[in-house]
Amino acid sequence: MNGPPRIHVLPSTPVDRPRLHATFFLFLAGFLYVAAGLAYRQLIQSNELMEQSDNQSRRVILRPPARGRIYDRNGYPLVDNRARWSVKADLAALQKEFRGEYLRLLAAEKARNAVSIDREKLLEDARLRVLQGWLNNVWFVIDETNRHPKSKPTTKLAPVNAPNERQVNLDELRRHLRERRALPFTLINDLAFPGTSQAVTSEEGAKSIARFVEQFPVAGPIRLEQDIVRTYPYGPLAAHVLGYVKDTDVLPDNVDDISEVRIESLQKLRYTGKTGAAGIELSYDHVLSGRSGWELWSKTSAGYNQTRLKYSEPAQGGHVMLSLDHRIQKQTEDSLAKLKDGRGALLPAAAVMLDIQTGEILSLVSQPSFDPNRLADRVTSKYYDQIESEGGWLNRATQGLYAPGSTFKLLTATAGMRKKVVDWDDILECGAFFRVGNRDFPEHEPVGYGEVDLDKMLAISCNVWNYQVGIKTGIEGLAAEARLFGLDSPLLSVTGDTENRGQEMTELPYAASRGLVVPDRAYKKRIGDGAWTDGDTANLSIGQGYLLTTPLHMACLAASIARGETRTVPSIIHSRERTGRHIGAQPIGLSTAQLAALRGGMVRCVEEGTARIAQIPGLPFAGKTGTSEYPKNGKKAHLAWMIGYAPADNPVVAFAVLVEGQTENNIFGGKTAGPIAKEMLLAWAATAAPPDEAKPKPDR
Amino acid sequence: MEANRQGARASYVALAIFVAIWILLPSAVRRFTREAFVEFQAPALHLVGKSRDLATFWEKKSRSVEEMAAAGRDLARVNAALELKLSAYEDVRRENVRLREIARYNVPPEYLSVIARVATRDSSSWWQRIVIRKGRNDGIRPGAPVVFGNIVVGRVTTVHLTTSEVDLVTSPGFRCTAYLEGDEQNRIVLVHGVASNSLGTAKARVSVIPRDYSMPAGQPARVLTTGMGGVFPSRLTLGNLDGMTYATQVGNFSESLLVPSRDLYNLQEVSVLVPLLQNPGEALMQGDQFQ
Amino acid sequence: MTMGWAWLILLLATYPWLLGADLASDALASSSLVFFVSGACLIAPSRRLKRWQMILFAGCLGFLFEARRPIPDGALALSLVAAAIFLSTQRQHLRNTPGMLRAAALVNVGACLIWFFAAAYVAPVPMGDIVAQLMRQLLLAGVVGTVCLLPIALTQNAAMDRLGVPPAAEKP
Repeated sequence: MNGPPRIHVLPSTPVDRPRLHATFFLFLAGFLYVAAGLAYRQLIQSNELMEQSDNQSRRVILRPPARGRIYDRNGYPLVDNRARWSVKADLAALQKEFRGEYLRLLAAEKARNAVSIDREKLLEDARLRVLQGWLNNVWFVIDETNRHPKSKPTTKLAPVNAPNERQVNLDELRRHLRERRALPFTLINDLAFPGTSQAVTSEEGAKSIARFVEQFPVAGPIRLEQDIVRTYPYGPLAAHVLGYVKDTDVLPDNVDDISEVRIESLQKLRYTGKTGAAGIELSYDHVLSGRSGWELWSKTSAGYNQTRLKYSEPAQGGHVMLSLDHRIQKQTEDSLAKLKDGRGALLPAAAVMLDIQTGEILSLVSQPSFDPNRLADRVTSKYYDQIESEGGWLNRATQGLYAPGSTFKLLTATAGMRKKVVDWDDILECGAFFRVGNRDFPEHEPVGYGEVDLDKMLAISCNVWNYQVGIKTGIEGLAAEARLFGLDSPLLSVTGDTENRGQEMTELPYAASRGLVVPDRAYKKRIGDGAWTDGDTANLSIGQGYLLTTPLHMACLAASIARGETRTVPSIIHSRERTGRHIGAQPIGLSTAQLAALRGGMVRCVEEGTARIAQIPGLPFAGKTGTSEYPKNGKKAHLAWMIGYAPADNPVVAFAVLVEGQTENNIFGGKTAGPIAKEMLLAWAATAAPPDEAKPKPDR
Repeated sequence: MEANRQGARASYVALAIFVAIWILLPSAVRRFTREAFVEFQAPALHLVGKSRDLATFWEKKSRSVEEMAAAGRDLARVNAALELKLSAYEDVRRENVRLREIARYNVPPEYLSVIARVATRDSSSWWQRIVIRKGRNDGIRPGAPVVFGNIVVGRVTTVHLTTSEVDLVTSPGFRCTAYLEGDEQNRIVLVHGVASNSLGTAKARVSVIPRDYSMPAGQPARVLTTGMGGVFPSRLTLGNLDGMTYATQVGNFSESLLVPSRDLYNLQEVSVLVPLLQNPGEALMQGDQFQ
Repeated sequence: MTMGWAWLILLLATYPWLLGADLASDALASSSLVFFVSGACLIAPSRRLKRWQMILFAGCLGFLFEARRPIPDGALALSLVAAAIFLSTQRQHLRNTPGMLRAAALVNVGACLIWFFAAAYVAPVPMGDIVAQLMRQLLLAGVVGTVCLLPIALTQNAAMDRLGVPPAAEKP
């Protein structure tokens, strides 16, 4: 046999050399590919892969910062933080005990010859029993000396005897293990706070802490952790302004920059923090919420924390100083709280007082209200529902939309003078009613008032004067006047300081911005009520009909008249830099005599008119009352209004009071709202001449 | 040589087996071993303490008569002042008892005072301890407060037959609640020993100091026990606040350091306040800490 | 007295050195450093004692040190036993003074390291600046180990001579 030699791989299977070479190269290529891939991963990708495995064995825990405080204009803290002491169990340190208890339970099950053993259930039982045992120990240390200082300690509390709140909550434990296994489990939430089930008085609360601190072993799985909760030292005071906070799992990510926090693949756990849910707490959340702290931990294979590698403390948020004066606020709230309906329930009401020059709001009350302390931590659905049913969520001073009633007559008068249909010294004949078309519009005095000028009109609140002037002025004139004084523009909105990144925001959330109505022909057509009639104009001239505004708008109106301008821009934030210039404000455009008559009428209203009841000896002030009608539960009910400013000759503050009447009782502007205004002004007068009391410093 | 190697290998294996057994042994056995070695050394510690006393004695003896006379004179003055205070104190005590009866207020725990000499000090980066020459035989129980005059020295952590170990105020194992002098509202703060920063003097951390607390001017603010925890009598001095308080980032509270009012390491004699009745914390503290 | 009890007698002879070290630690108390000699005490006996005797000796030495210190039971003692077994296989390196000094420094530093970590393990709070402190402690242990080896070895050798323990093979 000639030719190329053949290689025998197996007996009788000759192989071609070329084919062998081809196979060899194929394998070589494959091997090179694998080797190259391996080298690539080992040499080039190694850093990246290492990082990945690192990230799987590490986690970041974000800790919530303390929120900033909210002060009143004098530096009294209206919203503060207090320490909360919680007893927590370190689950990682308890692993051994869990395991031991589990094995014991398992042995017991086996001894019982149980048919099927649910190991998951056993493990859960074991955890529960261990934690309950520790919780019993905690209470044992706290209680035994609490109750029997002299008796010898007896045996441990049996879990069955423990009342409900002293039981470890199985559902909470399950959720905790599922969602935040690495964080300590809370056994007792708020050890020292009086009012919770744990402590009755603050002294007892302090005692509980002291007992735990001094008697419980320092080293061990049970720790006393202390964090902070929001507290509102004055309770429900200014609750609508301050708002409240709610739990959030989304902590501000604006931590001190560390690269670890930014890594997407790194597991992040967050303690529950707080975020604003209403009021200033919500609108100034960006200021109040601080910078989260973080901890970088390595973790065990079971998912518990192992070692803390790096950390940074959280930083407290900024403080906010409100323009409110807590003394005026308190007095106003107390006065309004005296208003009750036939069944003893609080009448819904609102009151506003503001500084005429700066527009800073000194007091802003809405009734009924709520206690933000009870919403700060765990809200019971019962309390939530109670506020809901009372209508306590609505901030009536900034969100409540009402017909302003006779207080609008101020604008009818200015509109009339501006359109020159009436002057300050014109005397109009005012009978018992005024006929418009084929309808008689009544005076509230059955025999009429006879000869009435501007001054007298404001004092006695004559309707017929306004019908006449209103119809002569026309709807366009009245609507333009209302717009000139800003009744259609939203208040409390500010644009862009650096803190809110130049975005438009309202100082108080949900302040009325839509809903405000200054009616005109187009409006009536738009809502499909047909064509505008003179009757509508007559109605509008006394502040009834379609017109809807808020108490804050009316207070601003009073301030504008007092200052002789057309606009007042209110603010709830205190600032020393306010110049008294108001955006959009123009001179009121009336002659000195006209303005004097307008203001004189308001003073006369208090001195001898509808607001007599509110007179304050030694403090003459200007006012205008109003009683308007609104439908409630299908029936007509009254709204009592009073707006004004004080003192009469050198105005400093302006105010508005509104009370919603119920159907079964009769309320009137002067009679109901007058005394409230009087007490507000007295409170203001008391603060204007402050006694020698030491004021707390705003911050240290 | 080869035999030696093999023997060593066998020894390692034996050691490994022993370690396994040791870990699985009930903690009581380990505790017993520990106790046995402590008791073995106890006489030596007593000897050391006694010889220290002797040294002090000879040192005192070497003082001149004039010096002694001057010291005696000073002491007499201090004594006279104390006598006066004592009589006033007796009045206050009676008044206090009467008021407590009227108000049906809890009677504070009563103590048996046991005087003990300090045998030796033991410190590391993690704990500051002294060993005293009194133990179980003298009725000392773990958890009992240890004082010098009205100054808190620490707490008994471990009790042996004739010696006991005391965690000093600055030791991380020490924790208690306190009032700050000058705080009218008596708000409690937390005192916790911190690991000394290697070469620095050991201090304790005072936390949860209310933000509006201001130190009394011109003197260091004392930190006093609350007496509420059922362990320490009230109004004993824990130490002074370190001059500065520094704000923590958690908002309302500041922290400061506590400087013990005496050099706790240089004490020669302390008294252990053994509570007449056992408090519940004792039962928990007797558990095995190092399992 | 039989040779079997030699390790115990030797332990008693060594104890004053341990006590002395404790007193030195006492004097150093404010610096939080510990005067550690337990490792150095192993060197001289490991040249002459039988292995089982060394094991008992080392174990007791460890327990004496850790008895009053809150570290996990047996952590140091069992480590010293392991060190003793190791030393007994390395007798050829211990036949001259430089070798012994080297061994003393190494064993002492190693044992000190174990003690340090055991203490850190059960410490209730983490310590700041732990690395610097560890370095200081190890440096001290190394220096103390070498400096104290000679007097300790002299005492121990004298005791062993008295007990009739056969002398170790020396190498020039």
